[in-house]
Amino acid sequence: MQIITLSLKAQNKIPIVADTVNPDNFAGKTEDEIKAVQVWYGNMQCPLSELFNVKVEGKDSAENTKIVINGDASRVKRIGQGMSTGEIEINGNVDMHCGSNMKGGKITINGDADSWLGCEMKGGEIILNGNGGYYVGGGYRGEACGMKGGKITVNGNVRDFLGEHMCGGEIHVLGNAGLLPAILNNGGTIIIEGSTEMPASEMKKGTVIIKGKVKDLLPSYVEEGTEEVDGVLYQRFAGDVNVSGKGMLLMKQCESH
Amino acid sequence: MSELLIENAVVCDPIQGINCEKMDLCIKDGKIVESVSSNAKVIDAEGRLTMAGGFDGHTHSAGKINVGRSMNPNDARRNLVPGLSGFEPHTEKTRAQVGYNTPNTYAIGYRYAKLGYTTICEAAMPPLTARHTHEEFKEIPILDKMGLTLFGSNWQVMEYIRDKEPEKLAAYIAWGLKASRGYGIKIVNAGGGEAWGWGKNVSGLYDPVPNFDVTPAEILLGLGEANEKLGLPHSVHVHCNNLGHPGNYKTTIETMKLFEKVKPRCNRQSLHVTHVQFNAYAGTSWRDFETGAPMIADYVNGVNHLTFDLGQLIFGPAVTMTADGPVEYANSRMLKEKWSNQDVELEDASGVVPLVYSPKSFVNAVQWAIGIELALLVKDPWKVMFTTDSPNGGSFVNYPEAYTYLMSEKKRQEIISGFPEMALGRMVLPGLDRELSFYELATMTRSTQSRIYSRPEKGNLAVGADADIAIYDILPDAIDPSVEHEKVKKAFSATAYTIKGGTIVVKGGNIENTPMGRTYWVNAKVPSDIESAMHEDLDVKFQKYYTVSKSNYMVEDAYVPKPVEIATEGF
Repeated sequence: MQIITLSLKAQNKIPIVADTVNPDNFAGKTEDEIKAVQVWYGNMQCPLSELFNVKVEGKDSAENTKIVINGDASRVKRIGQGMSTGEIEINGNVDMHCGSNMKGGKITINGDADSWLGCEMKGGEIILNGNGGYYVGGGYRGEACGMKGGKITVNGNVRDFLGEHMCGGEIHVLGNAGLLPAILNNGGTIIIEGSTEMPASEMKKGTVIIKGKVKDLLPSYVEEGTEEVDGVLYQRFAGDVNVSGKGMLLMKQCESH
Repeated sequence: MSELLIENAVVCDPIQGINCEKMDLCIKDGKIVESVSSNAKVIDAEGRLTMAGGFDGHTHSAGKINVGRSMNPNDARRNLVPGLSGFEPHTEKTRAQVGYNTPNTYAIGYRYAKLGYTTICEAAMPPLTARHTHEEFKEIPILDKMGLTLFGSNWQVMEYIRDKEPEKLAAYIAWGLKASRGYGIKIVNAGGGEAWGWGKNVSGLYDPVPNFDVTPAEILLGLGEANEKLGLPHSVHVHCNNLGHPGNYKTTIETMKLFEKVKPRCNRQSLHVTHVQFNAYAGTSWRDFETGAPMIADYVNGVNHLTFDLGQLIFGPAVTMTADGPVEYANSRMLKEKWSNQDVELEDASGVVPLVYSPKSFVNAVQWAIGIELALLVKDPWKVMFTTDSPNGGSFVNYPEAYTYLMSEKKRQEIISGFPEMALGRMVLPGLDRELSFYELATMTRSTQSRIYSRPEKGNLAVGADADIAIYDILPDAIDPSVEHEKVKKAFSATAYTIKGGTIVVKGGNIENTPMGRTYWVNAKVPSDIESAMHEDLDVKFQKYYTVSKSNYMVEDAYVPKPVEIATEGF
């Protein structure tokens, strides 16, 4: 097992783009080599050691590599971008695009995450113990697919556009979701334990289960009876008929204006 | 006075009939000359393949491409051809580059130069938006540029044709070229742009255009005659009616036949048909869709009044952009893709739709084959201009890949072996064993363009020509392009040297200098009495219908910092 601990030296206002911070890149490297890894700090590049205290224990393959990030990383973007294996634990908040394009491995965030958490994720797992921002599991602007595989679990709430353009994988939100979750979905599963508004607009495929209240169900959903999931009975809707969608929307209670 | 001597170049220059002969090239003040002094800087080409700078005669690199950029921000992240697409940070000599199908302006200049290209022609410029096109031209470094002005669905044009006033029509075209600083006449789906304004289209050459009582055939011939009346350096440049529809090869051949009666005033073709791949479809629907390339090639082989370009398909993401508004609507509905549509007031329409060409789709596989079939079945390479209609058939950064399709049967068979069974019976490509030589490739990528566009200083290395030169890392005697296609692709992807107007712009695949290129435009003179009569009509158009005034319409000199004015005498 190789454990790399990065502790933020000081609170930063200028964003750090840490797309190089992932187990694939760190595995088998010595402390000095990891200290020298370049990250973007504003408009210039600098070695990791200028911004973080770096401690390395052991030496192992990427699979057995764990990165622990301590301190308030709420201005550190793209941690774990594209990682394929290993583990990252963030003890604090984290900035945008954490776990974006992730293919495998696991990220645990013991704080809040900003927008685009796990965007275009293809595999692996993200566990967010705080609240999430906008576009959790979403896609980059203009892209046809957001999340394609893997799993995101959010123990808090998330904001709008949860799983936008999702094409596969699973998102489980234990709290509430903002406006328009599952917008433009083309596959995958979204489960929201709490409440939300206007879910699944322009959904073509996929499953959305909402256990709390739904405000403003879109008129483009057709009721198709009931469905039982894990012993619980839900009202079942199909749509979005505006786009000839075959998606399934399950919910228990609906509130309209 | 800058002097340059290129020693030991193995020159391939079809215009002079030089087929891979070792020689020295002398350059002085941006031109090829007989000799240079002993002070000249020397480049040793070490026997490498040397051609005139490439000339892309039909590309979309300024204007509508900007709509493509806005619609596809994700394209900025794409990196499908390493070193030629995707994101590259700025260096001391270059600005930052992004994109694949819709690169930023700087990337267009650098990437074309890396491929050994030094001149491009933007093939669709509505006069009303010409200022913007020239603004983008200004920001495309290195390359010489020209733009073709759209006239095929223009109210004033259609009225003059209906009213049988060919002289005023020619005067209007002359003014339109000057107003847009354009190089020639482009016709897209003649009459279709106007019909599209009413949610309709024209289906062939003899459907009347709504409200104008003219047919596409009349528009095509009217503009063809006006082109010759003005003595323009390029013929009419035609995107045929019915583009993208199965069975359209008949319309394409009808269009070609129409121009048999147009007599060119200069020593060039009277018709250039563009991206014929999209217009060489047989069958009656997408179910029984098959190649129409053999029929078109048969006709082209028997005549001498026309030239064409391929519009070769490249598998992967593409962005279609054309003034053919209705075809873009059809594309977007059929493929459930994003769609942008534009109405250019009295002049034309346009649309942009991104899509993906897949070798698993039998339709796409057959389309891919049709482009190559056209190049191989037409015997005379002087009638063929190589293009992908970038980025409609695929981005220009794939040109080296596409060269290998033309030069290696082995490479073609490798790709065909991955096609669905259904596609194979719909194409004739598997039975074609022709493989192009470097000489024929040079003809299709630079020399033909020189003739088609009447630019004797381009596309060749004779004394007096522009010193636009590409030296590729290939020893022509020591390579068999039919087998070593990967080597060919690599060498054509990044030149050893690209020289633009005597300045080394690429060395070892890296950008060395970024001079500003020139913009060619045509100033055709017409008799002043006809001109003033035409302006009386035009003033009415501007007062009644245009949202801009005539005085705010012309592209001003400030937009064309390095102009080359080509003067012609009309009538």
